[in-house]
Amino acid sequence: MAEVGQFEPVIVGFFCNWCTAAAADLAGTSRMQYPPNIRPIRVMCSGSVDPVYVLRALLGGADGVIIGGCPPGDCHYVSGNYKARRRMAILKTILATVGLEEERVWVRWISAAEGARFSRTMNELTQAIKKLGPNPMKKDWSI
Amino acid sequence: MSSSAILPVGDGGILEAVRVFLGSLWQKKLIDVLLVPLELPSGGNVVPAIVSDPSKLKMANPLAPIMPLNSARQVSAITRASPSAERLGVVLRPCEMRALIELVKLKQVSLENLLLIGIDCLGTYSAGDYGRFAQEVKSPASDFLRKFQEGKEDPLLRKACQICEYPVPMNADLVIGLLGTDLNNSILLKAGTVAGERIIGELGLKKSDAENREAAITKMVSEKAERRERLFAQVRKDVRGLEKLMATLATCVNCHNCKTACPLCYCQECFFDSSVFQFEAEKYLGWAQRRGALRMPTDTLLFHLTRLNHMVISCVGCGLCTEACPNNIPVADIFRLVGDKVQKDFEYVPGKSLEEELPLTTFREEELPNIGT
Amino acid sequence: MDKLNSVLVIGAGVGGMKASLDLAEAGFKVYLCDRSSAIGGTLIRVDKWFPDNHCGLCQMLPVFSADNSSRFCLRRGLTHPDIELMPLTEVKEVAGQAGDFRIGVTSRAAGVIPELCISCGLCTEVCPVETASEFNEGLSPRKAIYTVHPGILPYVYTVDWDSCTKCGACVAKCPTQAIRLREMEMIKQLRVGAVILATGFEKFDPALASQYGYQRYPNVLTGIELERIISPGGPTDGDLLRPSDNRTPKSIAFLQCVGSRDNRKDYCSSVCCMFALKEATLLKQANPEIDIHIFYMDIRAFGKDHYRYYQRARDELGIKFIRGRVPVIREDSPTKNLVLTTIEENEASIKRQFELVVLSVGQTPPPRFQELCQVLGVELNRWGFCRSGLFSPVNTTREGIYVCGSASAPKDIADTMVEAGAAADRASGWLERRMISTTLSEKTVESAAEKEETPRLSVLLCDCGQEISSVLDLEELAESSRQLPDITCVMRIPFLCDDDVWVKVDQELRKHKVNRLVIGACSHYFNIHLAKLGFNSSSAQIVNLREHIAWVHRDNRQAATDKAKNLLAMAVELVRALEPEPVPPMSIHPVALVIGGGLAGLMAALSLTHHGIEVHLVEKSAGLGGNLKQVYYALEGDDPQVFREDIINQVKTNRLIHVVLETELVKTEGYAGNFVVSLKANKSSLYFLEVGAIIVASGGEEYRPTEYLYGQNKNIVTQRELERKLFSAELDLKNMGSVVMIQCVGSREKERPYCSRLCCSWALKNALRLKEGNPEIEVTVLYRDMTSYGFQEEYYTQAREKGIIFVRYGLDGKPEVRQEEERLVVEVAEPVLGGRLVLESDLVVLSPAIIPPENTPLARALGVDLNEDGFFQEAEMKFRPVDFLTDGIYVCGLAHSPRGMGESIAQAQAAAQRAVSLLTRGSLVSGIAVSETIQRQCSQCELCITVCPYTARMKDVESGQVVVQGALCRGCGACVVACPGGAVKLIGFKDRQVFSLIDAAF
Repeated sequence: MAEVGQFEPVIVGFFCNWCTAAAADLAGTSRMQYPPNIRPIRVMCSGSVDPVYVLRALLGGADGVIIGGCPPGDCHYVSGNYKARRRMAILKTILATVGLEEERVWVRWISAAEGARFSRTMNELTQAIKKLGPNPMKKDWSI
Repeated sequence: MSSSAILPVGDGGILEAVRVFLGSLWQKKLIDVLLVPLELPSGGNVVPAIVSDPSKLKMANPLAPIMPLNSARQVSAITRASPSAERLGVVLRPCEMRALIELVKLKQVSLENLLLIGIDCLGTYSAGDYGRFAQEVKSPASDFLRKFQEGKEDPLLRKACQICEYPVPMNADLVIGLLGTDLNNSILLKAGTVAGERIIGELGLKKSDAENREAAITKMVSEKAERRERLFAQVRKDVRGLEKLMATLATCVNCHNCKTACPLCYCQECFFDSSVFQFEAEKYLGWAQRRGALRMPTDTLLFHLTRLNHMVISCVGCGLCTEACPNNIPVADIFRLVGDKVQKDFEYVPGKSLEEELPLTTFREEELPNIGT
Repeated sequence: MDKLNSVLVIGAGVGGMKASLDLAEAGFKVYLCDRSSAIGGTLIRVDKWFPDNHCGLCQMLPVFSADNSSRFCLRRGLTHPDIELMPLTEVKEVAGQAGDFRIGVTSRAAGVIPELCISCGLCTEVCPVETASEFNEGLSPRKAIYTVHPGILPYVYTVDWDSCTKCGACVAKCPTQAIRLREMEMIKQLRVGAVILATGFEKFDPALASQYGYQRYPNVLTGIELERIISPGGPTDGDLLRPSDNRTPKSIAFLQCVGSRDNRKDYCSSVCCMFALKEATLLKQANPEIDIHIFYMDIRAFGKDHYRYYQRARDELGIKFIRGRVPVIREDSPTKNLVLTTIEENEASIKRQFELVVLSVGQTPPPRFQELCQVLGVELNRWGFCRSGLFSPVNTTREGIYVCGSASAPKDIADTMVEAGAAADRASGWLERRMISTTLSEKTVESAAEKEETPRLSVLLCDCGQEISSVLDLEELAESSRQLPDITCVMRIPFLCDDDVWVKVDQELRKHKVNRLVIGACSHYFNIHLAKLGFNSSSAQIVNLREHIAWVHRDNRQAATDKAKNLLAMAVELVRALEPEPVPPMSIHPVALVIGGGLAGLMAALSLTHHGIEVHLVEKSAGLGGNLKQVYYALEGDDPQVFREDIINQVKTNRLIHVVLETELVKTEGYAGNFVVSLKANKSSLYFLEVGAIIVASGGEEYRPTEYLYGQNKNIVTQRELERKLFSAELDLKNMGSVVMIQCVGSREKERPYCSRLCCSWALKNALRLKEGNPEIEVTVLYRDMTSYGFQEEYYTQAREKGIIFVRYGLDGKPEVRQEEERLVVEVAEPVLGGRLVLESDLVVLSPAIIPPENTPLARALGVDLNEDGFFQEAEMKFRPVDFLTDGIYVCGLAHSPRGMGESIAQAQAAAQRAVSLLTRGSLVSGIAVSETIQRQCSQCELCITVCPYTARMKDVESGQVVVQGALCRGCGACVVACPGGAVKLIGFKDRQVFSLIDAAF
């Protein structure tokens, strides 16, 4: 377990099989170091990430959620990432409007060739979430 | 399609004028059946009913300030599986009409063989308020209209109606226009489609323009919009942030009545009532362990946020979710507040146009630069 | 003689990989050999392609039964069970004949035994030798023991014998004794029915053109070097920094035609214009401040959508284009900037300084290509590329050996992909076809999970020597895994990639009746072992403890172990909630419909029948032959009319082809394998056909000019009309004084912003023929960019040698054609001297655009898209050039875009290959991850149908239910998210499973 007093966030990542998950592999084979706070989930396409999954993660206590997909135009399934973009836009607007820290949800397009960008993003995300502090929903038993 | 005609108001008053007009649709064999609100014999409520015998029209009362449920769902019930076999007229309020158009896009309504008759909406009361009101006055509809004509703010109006900026039906074949006319003398019948125009012709009505209508609409909309902004500011203050939001949802018992009342929650079985949300005992115990306690039934906030996710882009703001809540949670206020933002983001007005694609079925390559980099 | 089932593909670049995938997907056994140690050729060094600046590489993976390959895009590896990769391998001997070749190959030892190598990289760490990395074009160092590129799987290490000093440091360090520092060659005999030559190209070495100072001046780079510099995986992590001082250059010059179109290399490399445009575009988009100049002779943007791309670069991005040669580059030594003296169109000599210069180097045959072709017994052409025929574009001079891509002529990826498909089509004619519905899909393995309802799980943890165990506390992990639900046994294994351990694993799993498996290991796929044990990619989940944890969280062992616990628990939840879901296979109707009886349609039909497919050939007009009827000569000398008669005759006498004239397709229902098409013959009623695949070869038309007085004077004709007059000898060439040809009539204009690709070669052909008829005729060609790409350049040179005059004009100074009494006069601005050129002319010849016919009704009837210009829109411009997004419908010929005869033929064969690959399956089996509808919950809103990119979902007319054709579903999950009611599920990834998975994340 992490040291007492030091906040180690848990971040759930939904990474598309074709680009961001491949970038995660590339970061791995290139041994690029990044913080261990991410819990990656491989999905076929960012367009298959149902907002209810993101909500479930956030309400379940994840301190952050990242959706990683192919760069616009590169979707293996033609337009999954464009659809994902709209859905995540709506989700973030809902969260922002009711004041539930939409900034805990990140969307990033990271291509299979961008191992370095993957590890950099993990660093930035972890830092940003650490700054935000623990997700208050984690401890709320009444949600 | 700009043609409009006068429906004269005689001694029987406006309600009689409307009933006469509806009856003439039968006389001219323009419809076979009509979905229209009828007064219940008990007098305390008005409910949508399918009328096949024109003599029942004497109970018809689309002017009573009450909308116990959103009739778009009833049109769906009749036409979802297959188009109406008979020529079906439907008398709907603007929010019902807008919901209907959304349901057409969602393949829950077939417009085939339908005659859409919209009616200007001056607002409605909650069922309880209306019941009391109906007991107090002899003719609730005319009393209500009289009050409206006097121009006073009506505190009995439902909150959703007080802030509704769509008092005029969109996409109707015919609109029964109340705004901008002298209700003592006449009401307006306005064609919105070629079919509507033809009907005005066939009914042999006197064509006329309502000069004051646009101004009256503009005035009403701007007043409502002003009230809407005030309400939004209040709602923002009341619900923003986890603590306040959970305080707002404190009395939620997961009855899902809001979903049942919503004209756009069209699912045969709600995702939240499906087996996905029947968890193994060990899961409940595990979650309780993790947080020290677990609210039962679970997933209260998840339900509301997900319903926002699914429906808010199409929310027409009829407010029946709030009406349906047994514990007075202002569900509609939250939906309106969020819907206003989301719908503006996608430049989408639910129910405005059949041609506009549902935002979640389409995309633009260059958009939303802030989502994803 | 029994036919063989196997084929050899030489060269594992994009062409070889595409041909291999096509053949393997069609059920053949493929040996794919390459001289280098890794797949990918030139392509893996390039991140994005013109003309859409996207990647799209994964689009070339198999679309049916894609489970095995869907895990890895080609940037990472090629893991097809029917493709045997043979790295470091060369062909040494070829005996036998088409249908039964015996091929001797030698494979050099990699120095590392792949089965033992665990890719830990310790060898590289200790290796004392540094040399230049080929992958990064020498711009970064690598060791003598290395992997070509960290992303390529399996990333087994290789010894570079040239630089290795055999010091033995790596041998001592290797934890698995995988390294053998002995140079060895292994000889192997292969028996194959056919061979495909896909060796690609070598880039021209600019050091040979010493005037550019390449290698002398650090800031002179080749295009591919620049590509590496701007790649996120490149030497500068994607930052544009120039070599001399690691500063971002403010000005860049691209020099075109380095090693092309000169005395030594009298051909055009066909791709360098677009490649430079792409790099310039990417640079400009990333940094609009950079000043970019492109020095060129002609911009040859002739491919589909290429001209638009050029326009955009020029007009919107502000890239400057200067027509002119740069004779020499000098370095300004203090700044290391480069001084270019250019001689421009108006003969002025201008000096300009740039901070970086990029040489657009041409394509040449790869080293020792001649030797290889000698071994294969195939002839070379005079430029040293493999000889192929105009009407048989992928045939070599030896039967049974085919060629594709830049091995036969310089070309881009899209054209290479087309030829790879065509070569696969030709090669498979020599091979024994086996029923393939059962070979590819994991689904056919009766999964243990389907047999047993109660989940019984096992977790296998691999130490990977110390690679995992040195960071993660595997004992702690094993202990925490034992606490997870439904676990029957947890095993710790030193090396799970060691085949021998699987015997023990098998015994243990059987003993505990395990039906779900979680493996904590690395990116190894284990697919063969898992299939043997009855697991598929749903019932066995692999957690990548090494690449996703141990290698990237070295400094935080406890947090890394915590993460590993979660990931294992998540995988356990995913497989626990798995439910058996049999998806029935879909039958295939093995009949094809070909729309269009022109060159492409005829060739596609013939190709289909070579594989025994019955074909309905539907032609709108009253006869076969299409545009080919009016082509009497070919630039290369072949006789198109003899060819036309020959193929029409073949079609007419082929009992598998039913020709239907004066008939159009009006409606299509159904889906790949099972279409019902409605056809309407002139004036008769509709009739229906059941077909499994449709090839659209509906052709193109010649634009009828409205400009240049066409139609008002009989001496103003189109190239096509001139050709007919030449053929019928109705022109009095002896008394003809002068002829003016005008190019780009209706092409590359505002309303038609594309290049028609053929007109320049057409003009050259007719101009040369005029000169042949009478050398005294003065022929002037007014052109905008002479687009004699590839070997056509030879004829451009010839034309100039024969005195044909070429005068360039711009869109702002278009020629004017006037009739002055009996004379025709053409006036045009003269770019060199700046004056006006007035040409009296006996004949004015216009080169009109190639335009699509009104394709909208057909596109609508087929349910496919058209592009902005009205041509059919393929699934993906580069990697799926003959497919539509809707499976089972393919496109070729002018229906796709303007293209030459040979190019149309190759595309017809490629389209036929796609169709044959589908139609020769007895049935289509779906992948594992497909979507399904839970009817009870379905509200029939059809949102799922709307969002499905593959038309795999449809409303069943009879039941009214929304159904899925599992075989067409790729498992993208768009439908799942679209459905608010939870009525759509993705098998193997249901909401229930995902919820459990998320729960286990913390």
